[in-house]
Amino acid sequence: MKHPKSDRVIDARGLEPPEPFVLTMDALDRLPKGEKLLLLLYREPYPLYKALANNGFAHEAEQLVDGTVEILIWHADA
Amino acid sequence: MQAILSFEQAPPMAAPFRFFLTAPLFALLAGLLLLVAGPEALLSRWTPGALALTHLVALGFVLQVMLGAMIQILPVVAGANLSHPLWVARIVHALLLAGVLCLAGSFLGWFSGFVPAAALLGAGVGCFILMAALSLRGVPPTSATITGLKVALLSLAAVLALGIALAGGMGGSWSLPMVETIHAHAGWGLAGWGLGLLSAVAYVVVPMFQLTPLYPHWFSRFFGGSLLAVAVLATPAVLFGHDVLAGLLQALLVWIAAVFCAMTLWLQARSKRARPDTTQRLWRGAMQSGLAACALWALVALVPALGERDEWPLLFGVLVLAGGYMSVIIGMLYKVVPFLVWLHLQNRGRGKVVAPNMKAVLAEAPMQRQMRVHFAACALLAGGVLWPAGLARPAGLAMVASAVLLAINLLSALGVYRRHAALVDARLAELGLAEAGVGRRA
Repeated sequence: MKHPKSDRVIDARGLEPPEPFVLTMDALDRLPKGEKLLLLLYREPYPLYKALANNGFAHEAEQLVDGTVEILIWHADA
Repeated sequence: MQAILSFEQAPPMAAPFRFFLTAPLFALLAGLLLLVAGPEALLSRWTPGALALTHLVALGFVLQVMLGAMIQILPVVAGANLSHPLWVARIVHALLLAGVLCLAGSFLGWFSGFVPAAALLGAGVGCFILMAALSLRGVPPTSATITGLKVALLSLAAVLALGIALAGGMGGSWSLPMVETIHAHAGWGLAGWGLGLLSAVAYVVVPMFQLTPLYPHWFSRFFGGSLLAVAVLATPAVLFGHDVLAGLLQALLVWIAAVFCAMTLWLQARSKRARPDTTQRLWRGAMQSGLAACALWALVALVPALGERDEWPLLFGVLVLAGGYMSVIIGMLYKVVPFLVWLHLQNRGRGKVVAPNMKAVLAEAPMQRQMRVHFAACALLAGGVLWPAGLARPAGLAMVASAVLLAINLLSALGVYRRHAALVDARLAELGLAEAGVGRRA
């Protein structure tokens, strides 16, 4: 799936926990420095934010009118 | 990247689990009480048996699971971290258990413990409200869920204050208009706290676990505030006996509840899941039961002669508490408990040992079996209100069976955790990583 914000997109809006989290972690494992991962959800994943910060990732979240939350993730030191 | 799966914000597993595992015990006690007391308990809502039964279910089961769940969900859905969650859980849990037992014994006339019950519940629930409020302090109301959680907490404080006032009245410490205060106490409990929390959580968990569309923005944005505003306005009207105004505002609360139930059913009908799972069916049953309760309220308003009968408030209570809140709560336990087992095993495995699939933690078949018995218990309870002589004891028996099956299901999930945790530890020891096992605090 392509998206203007990133070529690496996980659309987890129709997935049941813990699948979105596991998919995101697997994708971050393969994320090259300098690239970004976009996660789409219908909620703010607060525990994920903490886990990202603890593991050297930065993120930016934006809530859309339809309720989608776009979370853009990248290596903080990249 | 499994190492990242350590949820630093997740409270220790023992914090919510102690509430979840002892809640079925109170459903069991309620069933046993009905079995022993028999038809007399269901003759009116004022019988000692009915009062004890109501509080065993409302406080011992419903409130207990809700408090445990809130400890878990505050960081997850609101980013609000409860400080010292394990200690808060230990204290609140112990005081709640003692308080509910003391209250139920007092209603049954075994001893005069209304004032000690109020002190125990006041300290336990008050401690929870304080700690939860502190965790939510400074959290901006960026979502309807956060607003809803705040509405629910304020309402719980109102329920508690009115409950303490009532207990003081029952214990002879002071006099107050009992019936009016009971109506206000029940209204804040069922609408403000119960529906406030349920709706706040539903905005997240219904789409997330049942794969439905989101609640519409216009709905979730105004729901919590409307609920609180009407409950606040209705309170003086109820307490000071302005019957017409109180009736209108209570009817408005019932309409708000009906809209929530109808909206949730409408969303569920649009779920992406091909076949509804047990949680979804329990939620659906709960919403249908809630709508039936609202319809009963409307019927009584239209036919005043019905309002004079003893059966209707009891039937309303059964539809809301047993059919509504108990069903939803069982449904949520069947998602939350396997998820927490998975989460804490994943943390414990430190990325070296993968946790079992959630479906392996608790399979559909035993959950469905328990759900069927629970729905049978609800139907028998409703029938028992209309025909106590024939159905009160069968309803008690079904409640006992439902509680036992629920306890077995939850304990089996805990068994999976314990067995798998031992395997994880053994595997980590083989790898020379045992000492720093993440998740030990669980």
